[in-house]
Amino acid sequence: MSGRDWPCYYPAAVELDFDRVQAKGLVKVFGPTRALSGIDVTFEAKTVTAVEGPNGSGKSTLLSLLSLLARPTRGEIRFGSYGARDTPGLRARIGVLAHAAMVYPDLTAHENLQLAAELYGLPSRGDELKALGDRFGLGAWAGRPARTYSRGQLQRLSLARAVLHQPRLLLLDEPSTGLDASSVERLVTAVLAERERGAIVVLVTHDSALSERLADHRIELRQGRLAEASA
Amino acid sequence: MTLWHAAWMILRKDLRIELRTGEVVVTTALFATLVAVITSLAFYVNEQTALQVAPGVLWVAVAFAGVLAMGRTWNRERENDAFRGLLLSPAPRAAIYLGKTLGTLAFLAVVESVLLLEVAVLFNLDLAKLAGPLSGLLVLGTIGFAATGNLFAAMGVRTGARDMVLAVALFPVISPALLCGVVATRELLGGAPAHEIWNWVRILIAFDAAFVTAGLLLFEPLVCD
Repeated sequence: MSGRDWPCYYPAAVELDFDRVQAKGLVKVFGPTRALSGIDVTFEAKTVTAVEGPNGSGKSTLLSLLSLLARPTRGEIRFGSYGARDTPGLRARIGVLAHAAMVYPDLTAHENLQLAAELYGLPSRGDELKALGDRFGLGAWAGRPARTYSRGQLQRLSLARAVLHQPRLLLLDEPSTGLDASSVERLVTAVLAERERGAIVVLVTHDSALSERLADHRIELRQGRLAEASA
Repeated sequence: MTLWHAAWMILRKDLRIELRTGEVVVTTALFATLVAVITSLAFYVNEQTALQVAPGVLWVAVAFAGVLAMGRTWNRERENDAFRGLLLSPAPRAAIYLGKTLGTLAFLAVVESVLLLEVAVLFNLDLAKLAGPLSGLLVLGTIGFAATGNLFAAMGVRTGARDMVLAVALFPVISPALLCGVVATRELLGGAPAHEIWNWVRILIAFDAAFVTAGLLLFEPLVCD
């Protein structure tokens, strides 16, 4: 049981399906800083797109816009035929694995997953959560508070949290930072499984080895502009 | 998912963490106790001064303990950027505000129960007969305080200026509720007629309604880009 049979209780999200995400003329300005200067890019289903570039090139800003946590200053993002309106239905179709784990340190892995499942409108039966935990290797320490986890364990929990609602768009921000080899293998397996399921995967990373293994398509940002793209 | 259902999830999460750690209630109750003890030693002269000083002590302790409690509950959201996880979820953003505000109310209700007993003992007051109306005043004042404070605290979570926002900006905004609470409590302890106290209660109710509504409407634009 991988959790894939879970129904989604957001009626809007069930109907709200898309197989591509298009950014058109995306500009984002923070005060005097121009983080993105007119990005045009398309992310397709069943495809892992790696976004590369030096620090400050606008990678994380792009993810922030795609996750609907920020709005573009100019330009637009389209999720299939839907405009990027920050609605619960659209948020229910997006999963994010960020550098911070986005979990509560005083809750156990099981409790963190249960909370996330409930917030995403999924039934949170214990056996299903346990199966999800087992899939990501959380079993042995799922009953301990997340405060006691290593970086790798936190990242596994965070990944389980990011995919438990079977997102259509999966955004990964530096997912391999601080992970040992076995944790990276588990991450690769999970991301490839999401791609096979049909997810649109956007991977922001400095790890060129990870990018080589996972990416079907690579783009590079420099100073907020699209520098180059390669298949 | 309804607003109330999502708010209940947030509240239940905060209660679960608090039952496990005791961090908010224990530290704020100790702080409120310290305020009550120090002020009683400094200001208690006789029963007459006790009646005049106790309302101020009560509300000062509630205000300081409340700021401490909100700072700590929102600090949990900052750790591991857990708040971002809530914002990314499809739960209505207003439900996050509602759940956090209800959590603050629950924590402060426990602290205020202890504080009332302490003030009664330290100032040698017989509060048993006034327990009902006094609790009502505290509940009304705390609703406005928590509604306003959680809005400011949430703004601080994403700006990094949490302590500054709570310390500098919150008190001027909540001063109408605090002043009404202090004066209404003083009138109540002094045996004023009900209609005089009712005037202050109406202001408290209006303050609560205004800031709960403002919080529900403004939370999302304030915490999102």
